Amino acid sequence: MAQFEKQIVQAVLIADNNVWNFKPLSDEGSTALLPLVNVSMLDYALIALNRSGVEEVFIYASLYLADIRNHIKQGIAMYASWSFKMTVHVIGGEGCRCFGDAMRDLDSKALIRGNFILLGADTVTNADLRPVLEQHKRTAKFDKGTAATLVFKECSNNLRTGNELLIAVDKQNTRLHYHQRLRLNQKEPRYQLPLDIFLGNSCVSLHHNLLDPQIAIGSPSMLSLFSDNFDFQTRDDFVRGLLINEELLDSRIYVAMLPPAQYAHKVNSWPSYQLVSRDIINRWAYPLVPDMGVYRLQQQYVFHKDNIYKSHEAMVPKVSLHENSVVQAGSHVESGTVIRHSVIGANCRIGKNCQLNNVFLMADVTIGDNCRLEHCVVGSRSVINELCEVSAGCVFGSNCILPAKTKLSNTLVTSSSNTQSSEDHEAVELEAIGPQAYIVSDLTTGDPDADSDGEDLLAQQTLCIPKMGEPVRQIDELSDYSFNSDEDEDESRAVTPLPDDTNIFLSEVIDSLTRGFREKSNPDFLILEINSSRYAYNMSLKEVNFNVVKAVFGIQHILEPANDNVMLAINAVFKQLGPVVSNYIKSEDAMLDCLNALEDVCEENPLVREKISQVVHYLYDKDFVSEDAILAWHEQLDIDIEEQAHLKKSLAKLVDWLNQSSEEEDDDDDDDDDE
Amino acid sequence: MKEQPLKEVTQLIHAIKVGMVEGSYSITNKTLDIFKYIIMSKSWENADALMQIVRAQCRILQAALPQETVTANIARRILKLIREEFDLLHAKVQHFADDSQASLSLHKLVTQTSETNICVDYSLPQKGLREALLDHLQEVETELETSSENVCVQAEEHIHSSEIILTLGHSRSVENFLKRAIKKRQFLTIIVAECAPACRGHNLAASLANEKKVELIVIPDAAIFAMMSRVNKVIIGTHSVLANGGLRAACGAYTVGLAAKHYSVPVIVLAPMYKLSPLHLCEQDAFNMVGCAEDVIDYDSLAAREAKVYSPMFDYVPPELVTLFISNNGGHAPSYVYRLLTELYHPEDLEI
Repeated sequence: MAQFEKQIVQAVLIADNNVWNFKPLSDEGSTALLPLVNVSMLDYALIALNRSGVEEVFIYASLYLADIRNHIKQGIAMYASWSFKMTVHVIGGEGCRCFGDAMRDLDSKALIRGNFILLGADTVTNADLRPVLEQHKRTAKFDKGTAATLVFKECSNNLRTGNELLIAVDKQNTRLHYHQRLRLNQKEPRYQLPLDIFLGNSCVSLHHNLLDPQIAIGSPSMLSLFSDNFDFQTRDDFVRGLLINEELLDSRIYVAMLPPAQYAHKVNSWPSYQLVSRDIINRWAYPLVPDMGVYRLQQQYVFHKDNIYKSHEAMVPKVSLHENSVVQAGSHVESGTVIRHSVIGANCRIGKNCQLNNVFLMADVTIGDNCRLEHCVVGSRSVINELCEVSAGCVFGSNCILPAKTKLSNTLVTSSSNTQSSEDHEAVELEAIGPQAYIVSDLTTGDPDADSDGEDLLAQQTLCIPKMGEPVRQIDELSDYSFNSDEDEDESRAVTPLPDDTNIFLSEVIDSLTRGFREKSNPDFLILEINSSRYAYNMSLKEVNFNVVKAVFGIQHILEPANDNVMLAINAVFKQLGPVVSNYIKSEDAMLDCLNALEDVCEENPLVREKISQVVHYLYDKDFVSEDAILAWHEQLDIDIEEQAHLKKSLAKLVDWLNQSSEEEDDDDDDDDDE
Repeated sequence: MKEQPLKEVTQLIHAIKVGMVEGSYSITNKTLDIFKYIIMSKSWENADALMQIVRAQCRILQAALPQETVTANIARRILKLIREEFDLLHAKVQHFADDSQASLSLHKLVTQTSETNICVDYSLPQKGLREALLDHLQEVETELETSSENVCVQAEEHIHSSEIILTLGHSRSVENFLKRAIKKRQFLTIIVAECAPACRGHNLAASLANEKKVELIVIPDAAIFAMMSRVNKVIIGTHSVLANGGLRAACGAYTVGLAAKHYSVPVIVLAPMYKLSPLHLCEQDAFNMVGCAEDVIDYDSLAAREAKVYSPMFDYVPPELVTLFISNNGGHAPSYVYRLLTELYHPEDLEI
């Protein structure tokens, strides 16, 4: 043990995390060098380490090793503020494909002499990690099997960036017992926690509002654990493996929380890129703000009000910059252009009368006159010609040339048709929109980094690359909000979230009815099935009525009718399932429930919405609903709500007809009511 | 910028950036050390070359830390020193040349410099300049070291028994000044405005509380106006003094100044000479420094998503609100600052 010489603090930085999310820019260079508010992400991580008193850093990079080496050399030449009192080594290369490989490599090279800080290159933090390191050392003294301390930050519940997780921690000694990542776009209806956690420990606290900024403190034993378990690929594998085989491996993981005043965030997708850029510009990550000269010795920006950072050497009319914007040296903006919430890199040229909102331009970008750009990223040296309209979620690689008058949204564009085809990827022909602009598919099938484990929740969610959009979004709204390209999920998610049991009940009823319809089974059996479900989930009669009708319309046959003829489909379904429905819809109240359910169905199913008056008429003809019920329902529709007003309008004709017929045939009407 | 920064300079910049060196006194001290090192060890042929080096390093310091004016102030002092020493030696040599008399009469010195002042060629090599400079640097160093003490000595003159003093935040000079006053005077009441969001006023109160015989009151910034009516004197520190006698002081100083004006309470500003800078308030935006938004509201709060949050560090206090400056050389009125500046710095060095 090196007790006599002073122990230096070491850190390991892992570059190239989540490469896939930054397509197509990740195909052209290391994501660690991606500029975030005109300073590459690697620099933020290095500065964070430097401020925490780290003296030696090992950067692990698998791709673009030379680029990173050059960047480090340049940084030292530019007197970047991390280059003081800290030595930086870049290691990696071919053999180092994942996080686990890096750890094993470190172990075999025996470079780490004590406890070390482990950080992703995409972490932006102003936290002082010294107290956390001290805490880790204290626990390690107490418990020899301490493998790592994971550092988390509390966050608000209403924003998801994909880095949130749920953990169970022993309150007394901050030991980690359970670790689960949360989904990006959805609220989980339920969590499953192993009972052992609560049986084996007297005092467990659950945290569901934590952000994982990819910061950890590792013991030397962490490296050897990686060597012993060669199937550990990622940090999550390590955590999971250790939690499962706690006794076997005799190592434990502890947890530390960052104090609320310290900022920490991970930039692993475009939405989080946008979020963190905004936070940096809004000075939450102080002192890692543009006007503090974080990377160079000299200050590059002057801070103006409304969070505008402008370089002295940028030619920008003051009226152009509205709020939350950064303009680097050498950029030139013509008159009439409006820029807000944007970052403009070095030497960009922006033409007249452009609108830039939430746009991130890298160096040397040219934008023609009269363009509208929103929520997009433009790689360096790209050209966007005049009169283009680019909206939410577009990403341009470097050297792209977008022809004039192009309209794009939610697309990834690269400059060459054959993107770097990795070994297991056959080169796909890309759709061209210009001589130097090709659309890249954003599906992450074959994503080498994604966990293919069936049990991992993350694997299900990353069907496409998360794109930028309006950043402030409550989680409830978020579930309504759909990213354009995953249409499969759209329909199931468009439903306003119901309470859990109701939801399950509904899906069970749909299952029963679908099966009943397909197998033409006896309606009585179906009623029995539904009733048993009803008692299992303790549904009230009203809810049952409502959900049964909803379920009937939720049958696949109606959702996707042949030839889009929804009336035919409804006729077919009701022929088979009519008795089931009429079993429930008997009283006047039940009919109202039925119509209310129909109203819900209208919102979700556009086909039914178009034909709503025909559907209601059909139900009236077949005596499922009475005239009074229809009139009462029509009465209670609220014109102020857009959906209902629409409904009311389309029903007006039917209601008129009903009114007329009731005046003409008063006697018949009475009979109708008796039924 | 073509000049390469010295290793010492970059290290100082980094140390200030990460907060290892804090407070204008220690920054001044460290800067002086660097310039002393330059004079001692750097190879320079003549006064002109030396001035070039000093200017270049000063420019680098200023570009990296535009808010720390003391670094430029000390550089100006050094430049003035070089000029003076060169003139003196030059005069001496000339004197030797045309006069056999070894001693310099005051009259001769004055006439000689006034003749040569029109166009002095600093690029001429001058023997003994280095030694003379180092001698004089010693004087500057001692002046710096004793500046705090010299300010404190005047405490008795300004603070009398059973007075009520108000101060803002935590300034080292104010702390020492008040401690001296507490020792000498009885029944003092000191009101400390906490100076949110950093609340450094709490530290000052804690430090003063160790002195037994004083009544301490800590108030929030909002109560400054309410308390002002009963205050006898306001004593504050400042980050720097501008050329017009205005202050760049901790945020909240303007509130204190205005309240004091309203109740006609004298405002005394403790400003050692190294804080006097020949700058004018012109570029509004670059004047201030904005701190961490987290200090003002929580990151997780809903308002934080939409609102723009500013936490400015400084206030500009116009000279009309200042009654008296107390420097290590005695008391001065704000209107006298320009005169002090011409004494302190050479007019050609105002623009570095």
